[in-house]
Amino acid sequence: MRIFFILGIPILLALAAPLIKRQRVFGILNVIGYFVILCESALLLKKAVMSGGVNPRADFIYIDTLSAFFIFVISTVAFAAALYSVGYIRKDMEKGMLSEKKAVVYHVLFNLFCCSMFFVPAVNNLGILWVAIEMTTLISAFLVGFYNSKESVEAAWKYIIICSVGIIFALLGTILFSYAFSLAGGAKSLNWSVMAAGAAGMDKNILKAAFIFILVGYGTKAGIAPMHTWLPDAHSQAIAPISALLSGVLLKTAIYAILRFGIIVIKGAGFAYFSNLMILFGVISLVISCGFILVQKDLKRLLAYSSIEHVGIICVGFGLGAPLAVAGAALHVFNHAVVKSLMFFGAGNIVSAYNRHNMNTIRGVIRALPFTGIMMLLGMFALTGFPPFSIFISEILIIMAAFTSGSYLIAVLLLLFLAIIFGAFIYHFGEMLFGNLPKGMKPAGEPLSGKLAFLFLLFQACALGAALLFIKKDLLWITQKLLQG
Amino acid sequence: MREFILLGVLAVTYLMVIAKRVPALIRGFRYQSFFIFLITLAAGYAERQVDLYAVALLILALKVFIIPRGLNLIAKKINVDENLGLFVSAQVSLIAALALTYCSMVFSETLGFGRDYRLAAVTVALSVIFIGAFLMISRMKAFTQVVGLLVMENGIFLFASFVSGGMPFFVEIAVFLDVFVSVIIMGLFIYRVNKLFTHIDVSKLSRLKG
Repeated sequence: MRIFFILGIPILLALAAPLIKRQRVFGILNVIGYFVILCESALLLKKAVMSGGVNPRADFIYIDTLSAFFIFVISTVAFAAALYSVGYIRKDMEKGMLSEKKAVVYHVLFNLFCCSMFFVPAVNNLGILWVAIEMTTLISAFLVGFYNSKESVEAAWKYIIICSVGIIFALLGTILFSYAFSLAGGAKSLNWSVMAAGAAGMDKNILKAAFIFILVGYGTKAGIAPMHTWLPDAHSQAIAPISALLSGVLLKTAIYAILRFGIIVIKGAGFAYFSNLMILFGVISLVISCGFILVQKDLKRLLAYSSIEHVGIICVGFGLGAPLAVAGAALHVFNHAVVKSLMFFGAGNIVSAYNRHNMNTIRGVIRALPFTGIMMLLGMFALTGFPPFSIFISEILIIMAAFTSGSYLIAVLLLLFLAIIFGAFIYHFGEMLFGNLPKGMKPAGEPLSGKLAFLFLLFQACALGAALLFIKKDLLWITQKLLQG
Repeated sequence: MREFILLGVLAVTYLMVIAKRVPALIRGFRYQSFFIFLITLAAGYAERQVDLYAVALLILALKVFIIPRGLNLIAKKINVDENLGLFVSAQVSLIAALALTYCSMVFSETLGFGRDYRLAAVTVALSVIFIGAFLMISRMKAFTQVVGLLVMENGIFLFASFVSGGMPFFVEIAVFLDVFVSVIIMGLFIYRVNKLFTHIDVSKLSRLKG
């Protein structure tokens, strides 16, 4: 029943947005709605974990631990983004960049976007899963091109075209999966629960070919290099709260789709094939993003490339497959979502205060925006995997698993690139945060809702990570089930 | 008869590869969709399935009439020159298309589709998909990207119907609606690009780098 609340509330909010005259009031309503969703999804996750829980609903909805976990991640970031939007949209309206009408459009699209993302982990049918992922692209393209500047429209165009092509290959892969299933004597069905049950009898060669298409197709959407070319453009041009949603959770929904097919491949064609491909693409993502992070000048693009890096780490984690690594990768999905959203919110505040993206010309953020500056500093340490924060825990879990399973090369590569990226971040952020304030800049006030969003995310990034450390045994037990379906 | 329709699909696809102007490309897409309509109709007749008739009707309405007409309308409205802007010449494109057809034949053999009609059918479907992708990357105008995407989608539809007897009915409908919506949205974006940049030459969209 909970899942219907989670899917229904965004639709209701999208319908309500045009009816309410003052969009500021609606923003607060939005926050309340997403708070309810957050609570519901936490309860859903708890139930799924406790009951070991599969509860299919009329064949259409399928919730197990994996999907409940992803729904929880989405709702966390969506709540933070709704909270942050209140202050951000008000500021844009005061500056005259947005009219009341455009704010309505924003709220409608925001809710539709979130709804389509909630659909991805909830549906059982792999064809509908494809439709849901394509819907996320179509809706978010408007949010990427929202300011209607030349840059943003160009980014939106590239985004919609590259992702649509990628995802068509994913549909080809999906059909090949259903072909393999029908050869094995299965009924004509695209339901995941049915297909996963009959995975063992499927033709290995077809499964392997199909998984390549899936990985390329959904990998485009997940920002796995070398299919990532749209990502830095779209993530840097979108409105700040949407950048957070794109980087924090949209990429993860595509990862979720890959995992769903991955489970079938593991059952049908053995673990080694899945593992090798995931690790290969993961390492490529790390290498490519590392190079771009080193030479990056644009603040939001830097964060976008860092998303590619973290997606790479997640792929490596799931590819290693040991319970420890899967636990690390799953945690990393959550941790990265939280921390990256925090960083994009900070970047949004900085860009709107300085009116520029170039890090070489942004100086003295700590003085101009004290709260945002401190949050960005903490966020940077969290993002690069510094100890008190939870990303450290998930990264160390993955690296430990790589060492214990004898994949020394992968462990060393991970450590090497993480170290380089850490250095690059310190270099980029040091001067930006602490340099001298440009002439004529004065310390500016920051909206309360934005501050609350920061604190909420920061809490998730430290306290939750620390708490997870103490329940490690239960955690392993839970994550063992993640890749079993 | 069905072999003839299959050949028709392939021939029209090659016709699109050598098209140099926007109306010719859209016309090619219209013919292709018409052949796919025929194939679906024939399949519906052979298997006596009402679902397939409904899908065939949808194809006729959306892909033969509404979408091509909409594309023509946008082309007329933004009023730019009609050349597609070929990165590679028509001859080279044709050779590439032939090579892609050969590759798809090899690929469908490795997938184990035997040596009869089914192999030919899957080969045609796969080559339509790959040629669609080729069209998208080898032409400069934003139009070709939309049409290329539609061609790829046509190929996917053929592939699904030959390989597993089509997707389940409601999935098919959902995919159709999805494609329809995406064409509308892409049309909107072409319109916006033209308004902001005063051209729709994708190769000149290079403000974002690094």
